[in-house]
Amino acid sequence: MTRRSTKLLAFGTCVIAILFAAAYSAPAPSKSVRGSTGGRSHAAMQAQIALGRHMVVSHACGECHGGGDNPAAAFWLDGMRDTITQQFRIGPFVTRAKNLTPDVATGTGSFTERQIFNALRYGLRPEETPDVEITSTTPGQGNFPLHPHYLAVPMPWMSWRNMSNEELYAIAAYLKNGLKPVSHKVQDSDGPPDFWAGEYTVAKIGPYPVPAFPTANEKGGR
Amino acid sequence: MSKTLMLLTVLVLSATLVAPSSPRETFAARANPSATGDLASNPPLLVNISKLPRTVEVNLTAAVTKLSLQPGVVSEVFAYNGHVPGPTLDVREGDRVIIHFKNELPEPTTVHWHGIHLPFESDGSPFHPIKPGESKDYVFTVRPGTAGTYWYHPHPDHRTGFAIGKGLFGAIVVHAADDPLPRLTEKLLVLSDNRFLQDGTIDFPDPASHHGGIDEENGREGPVLFVNGQVLPRIQIRSGEVQRWRVVNSSAGRIFRIAIPGQTMLQVGTDGGLLEKPVEVKEVLLTTGERVELLVRGGARGSSTVLQNLPYDRYSPQTRPADWNVTRDLLTLETTNLPPVTPPVIPATLTKIVPLDTTKATAVRTIIFGQGIINGHTMDMARVDVSTHVGATEIWEITNIVGMDHPFHLHGFQFQVLDRDGVKEPYLAWKDMLNIPKHSTARIIVRYDDYPGKWMFHCHILDHEDHGMMGVLEVKP
Repeated sequence: MTRRSTKLLAFGTCVIAILFAAAYSAPAPSKSVRGSTGGRSHAAMQAQIALGRHMVVSHACGECHGGGDNPAAAFWLDGMRDTITQQFRIGPFVTRAKNLTPDVATGTGSFTERQIFNALRYGLRPEETPDVEITSTTPGQGNFPLHPHYLAVPMPWMSWRNMSNEELYAIAAYLKNGLKPVSHKVQDSDGPPDFWAGEYTVAKIGPYPVPAFPTANEKGGR
Repeated sequence: MSKTLMLLTVLVLSATLVAPSSPRETFAARANPSATGDLASNPPLLVNISKLPRTVEVNLTAAVTKLSLQPGVVSEVFAYNGHVPGPTLDVREGDRVIIHFKNELPEPTTVHWHGIHLPFESDGSPFHPIKPGESKDYVFTVRPGTAGTYWYHPHPDHRTGFAIGKGLFGAIVVHAADDPLPRLTEKLLVLSDNRFLQDGTIDFPDPASHHGGIDEENGREGPVLFVNGQVLPRIQIRSGEVQRWRVVNSSAGRIFRIAIPGQTMLQVGTDGGLLEKPVEVKEVLLTTGERVELLVRGGARGSSTVLQNLPYDRYSPQTRPADWNVTRDLLTLETTNLPPVTPPVIPATLTKIVPLDTTKATAVRTIIFGQGIINGHTMDMARVDVSTHVGATEIWEITNIVGMDHPFHLHGFQFQVLDRDGVKEPYLAWKDMLNIPKHSTARIIVRYDDYPGKWMFHCHILDHEDHGMMGVLEVKP
């Protein structure tokens, strides 16, 4: 399978998930773990970065954000350069994969690891969401924004959010501390005035965490 | 040719040389159904009750009242001394100013003297709220060399946008003892906008609603554009005459881009007073809270033109209003049939601005504007975001990382702009407002003279400020 077809399959899966997933239950967000670099030994940081790198490569981040699945490739994670494979038409809107390298003005350089964690766990744009621990997914409660600004479709955060806290913070650590900053401005994505909130209801994307095993679709249990 | 003569030539001859900056559409008739065509009148002045020399002592009360902001419709408003805009505080450099303020509103308020260099206790920031029924004396001495146009408005925690939208704003004019400009007819133009329900109620939607969310995003805008509380008023001028217009943008979120089609203006001042030299401009971008002083000349006898608000895209693509690109008329400028007057001589040099010395800067502050957040945080009154001391000179590097403009305001201290996106500022000016366009960086330099205290810095889109896009600068003694 070519890189592009793999990517398109991933997008298709994600868009299908957005449009058709319909399970409902009250979300129960887990508490986030320590996210800053403070207090970590060098060895612990390197291990965390290595885990983050593994998660990034194995979850195809580079398929949209640049470099494919090869950290040695040109333009690794530095955002949209190719409108064919890194720019998406979602209904009337055009969205674009952002620069994930830690450049302050054009990438993730001004975000904390917790803001990146909140992006991956809750789908909240780091540059538009305060750096706070979120304890609810009800808008206006538990630091969850009253008017949340979600990452643009088709970023599959609703799948990636099911990674463990350790894995998500490892991704944040890799992006912040394991990459060289690249100054590369990606044009802003378009989107609806509700910042995709209508697409990210529990009815559409399912609950977090996922329902206990087994559901009606699954075999197993006692 | 002397510089003076050159400037004069520019004023007299440029009327027909400049193409309009955008196609004109007269949207005002629809969006401003209440246009009366009345002559523009300056807001009333606050009455000085002091008998002492070089002292201005005034009474100012904020109260709920009912006013007809649009003809035939009465709105419940908050007003200073019963007026929207409030009466103008008219003072001179060096004056000792005492404002006896009384809060007759049903909610806490403050009065912030926007742009004025004054003691922390008189800044009217959220640190010093005045409860309903209580009074406070604001006291300050107008700093010499700061003649210019300023304004005052409430600055209570989380409620500034609401209070200003309800009608609490007024201008301050600081006159110089030695004004270099000739004696000209002066017009104060306090620009604002508002939005009403059909019964005249000022429209503040439920914050949790879709419209509330749009207001929070863009900053609340209204389709009715006011000049001194009037809709599409007229200003009369004689052929050959030059008028001095002091323009204040007191709106919550609207950035005005003003121009007179087909003619240039001379910009002579900005937030903190006069520029060193007049600058010929086709248009002026006036961000929220910002002021400009313009010299405007009359046209041919019996002719008429308009001051327009040109489109300006400050919005994120998600919430950009559908009519953002429509040009709107603000006022009509009529040149009378009276015989022309001899144009006044405008000096080529107005004042001297000493540049702040970058080699004396002891810190470079990095300020990141996100959407509704500064350096990743919302406002916390108990937190100090920047700590320094009186007399220090510092550079602030302000980067806007999102796709919407955010106007920067610093309390207490005027600053100078060094560069924008690496491009050196073309001329010196004292500023307290600086628009930071989407995805851009500006560097400013500031010296914290005289007054210790906790000073606010914030986005002056009031909905952003009220939702926490604000920080605290502590200046220690």
